[in-house]
This record gives sequence, structure tokens and C-alpha cells, in this order.
Amino acid sequence: MALRNTTRRWGVIAQTFHWVIVALLIVQVTLAEMADDLPLGVRKLSLLARHKSVGITILVLVILRLAWRSANVNPPLPDNLKPYERKAARFTHVALYVLLAAMPLSGWMMSSARGFPVSWFGFFTLPDLVPKNRALYDWLMMTHHTLAWVLFAVIALHVAGALKHHFVHKDDVLKRMLPFTHH
Amino acid sequence: MRYARLCLALAAALFAAATMAAAPPPAAAPAAAPAATAAGSHFVVDPAKSSLQFTFEQAGAASTGRFPRFGVTLDFPGADPAGGRLEVTVEVAALDTGDKDRDDTLKSDDLFAVKKFPEARFSAQQIVKTASGYEAAGKLTIRGVTRDARVPFTFREAAEGGVTAGYMAGKTLVRRLDFGVGQGEWKATDQAGNDVTVSFTLRLTRAAH
Repeated sequence: MALRNTTRRWGVIAQTFHWVIVALLIVQVTLAEMADDLPLGVRKLSLLARHKSVGITILVLVILRLAWRSANVNPPLPDNLKPYERKAARFTHVALYVLLAAMPLSGWMMSSARGFPVSWFGFFTLPDLVPKNRALYDWLMMTHHTLAWVLFAVIALHVAGALKHHFVHKDDVLKRMLPFTHH
Repeated sequence: MRYARLCLALAAALFAAATMAAAPPPAAAPAAAPAATAAGSHFVVDPAKSSLQFTFEQAGAASTGRFPRFGVTLDFPGADPAGGRLEVTVEVAALDTGDKDRDDTLKSDDLFAVKKFPEARFSAQQIVKTASGYEAAGKLTIRGVTRDARVPFTFREAAEGGVTAGYMAGKTLVRRLDFGVGQGEWKATDQAGNDVTVSFTLRLTRAAH
């Protein structure tokens, strides 16, 4: 399988970006849920420190992924799609990328506003994006949570679309993002 | 791909908006000329123009808090602090890290235990001149535990419209666990570091004994 994309399928690098981000999103939800109900203590700090580090990792991966995407050919959508299906696919993909970047950015800003700076796995500390401000923090936390729900909704749409391609249209749109598949 | 660039541009715009919202740090330094000193001086802190801060590591990142209420007296017999005495009392319960949850946690029994130990104290009976300024050697008491401590500082006097002011600044490293600040789960240092840097910038004014 080729590293680069072809007009027929996604290359190894694009697939790796896709599935690593999927795995990290599952990690993110798990860490956030585990930390959510805890009182401020060592365990909460440690879970949230990991949540922040993974979030920054996702942000970097998304930027690299978009750069890689723009430097490659991308397998086009099948010709038989209706115009509204094309629009829906395009909207979903743009929304996914925007949300994948907006989630870590709003989390990072939230940490800055709270006065709990972000360290990337203890290796280095990121600069604060906004000044410490409790009202701003409350607003950003709400935004971060709302964006998470919007992201879940768009992911659901994305998965539904992929499954529809596979089972209804019976085309290779899903398969070309799966490793170890040939056609 | 056009829309990959669109996504990048949107993400970059979000990032730029976030970055621009960050305020530049304020910078201010008091300027004053050194002045001649009479023998035997008693200085007390000017709280409005003094700050006592602590910097600690939380989850791998440095965070800062301050003690807004404290008292300082500096007495010395000659032309400078060498041979003098320094007394510092800090109202620990007034600590402020800018986050109520964190402040409450710091004040709790496992950390500063402010109900039982409302005050921290540094009492130095010996001040010596060093290459870069002075060093006060004395007893530091935090959370009821007293240990020997050395605090280096700089000091200069300035005549300010009939008032003799003294500017004192320095910082010292305190290991919180040496004083029992961190019981139970807080004995671990991976999320809350053991090393705490205490720094001070003080304006003192000369007072009658």
C-alpha cells in the first residue's frame, strides 16, 4: 500500500492520521469523563493534565493532516452522488476538521483563563492564550462542552455516511479508508 | 485541495483570535536614587507597594500565587542591613492563586491547614553581606514546622520627598514537604511539585523604633 494517496484510495499516511485521531478522541472522552466528577485533587489534576496533553497532540496532528491533505491528490467522491449528498459530505468533512481544531484550542484557552497552564506531558509548557479570567473560563468551558456535543453529532453523521456508502450504495468509500483492504 | 486550505484557514483564524486576546504583561519598576544612611535603622513594609509571591509546579506547568497580607520589619545597626534582623509574618489563609477551588484546596488540612496554622514566619537574627547583596539566616516556620533557612536579598535605600524608603527584593526555594505541606495524596510530587519558589519585592519605609 502506498504512503501517498491515489485517486482510488487513501495512502498509509492519511489513514494513520485518521485512525490515530479516532483512537485519541476515545482517550479524550474517557479521560474527561473520569475527571469530571472528581474533586480537585491529585487524581483529577493528573487525568486533566493527560487530557490536555492528548488534546494538544490532536491539534498538531490535525494541522499536519490538513497540510498532508493539501499536498496530495484525494480520492474523489463517487460520480453517482446526488448534489445534496455531495454538499452533506463536504459540510461534514469541513465541520470535522474545524471541530477537531476548535476543541483543543478552546480547551487550551480554557486552561489559560483558569490559570492552569497547559504542559505537554511535562516536557514543556505552552504559552497562555488568554489572560486569567473566571467569567471567560466559565464561558469557554461551556463552549468546550458544547463543541464536544456538536463534534459527536458530526461524527455520527460521518459514520452514518460511511456505512451508507458501504451497505446502501455498495461503493468503496469506506473501504478506501480501511487498512488491509484491497479491491 | 481547496477545502483543506479552508479548514486550515479557519483553524488558524481561531488560533489568531485566541492569541490576540492575550494581554501583554504589565511592566513597572520603581526608580529611586540611593541615599546616605544614618546609623541604626528600623524599616517596616509598605503593603501597598510590596508583593510576596510563590511559584509552584502544577501538572507540569508553573503556576503563581501570592500572599496579599504579610508584615515585614527590618532592623539594622549600621549603614546597611548587615548585622541586622529581619522578621516576616505571613497570613497564609489569605493566599490567592486566582482560583477559588485551588485556594480552598491549598488551605485545606492536607496542605497549609490554615485553620490550625494561620501564620507562617521567617525570623532572621543574622544578616550578612554577600557578593550580590545580603543573606538573612534564620528560622522559617510553615504549618507548625520550623527549619533553618537562608534568604538572599538585595537592599537599597532611596530618599523620596523626606521619607527614607528601602527597596528589598529576593527569592528563595522552599521544599513544601520539608514543612509537611502535603499530607495524604499530596505527598506525591508529580502533580504538585515539591519545589516552591518564594519571591518578594518590597518597599519599606523608615520608621521610628
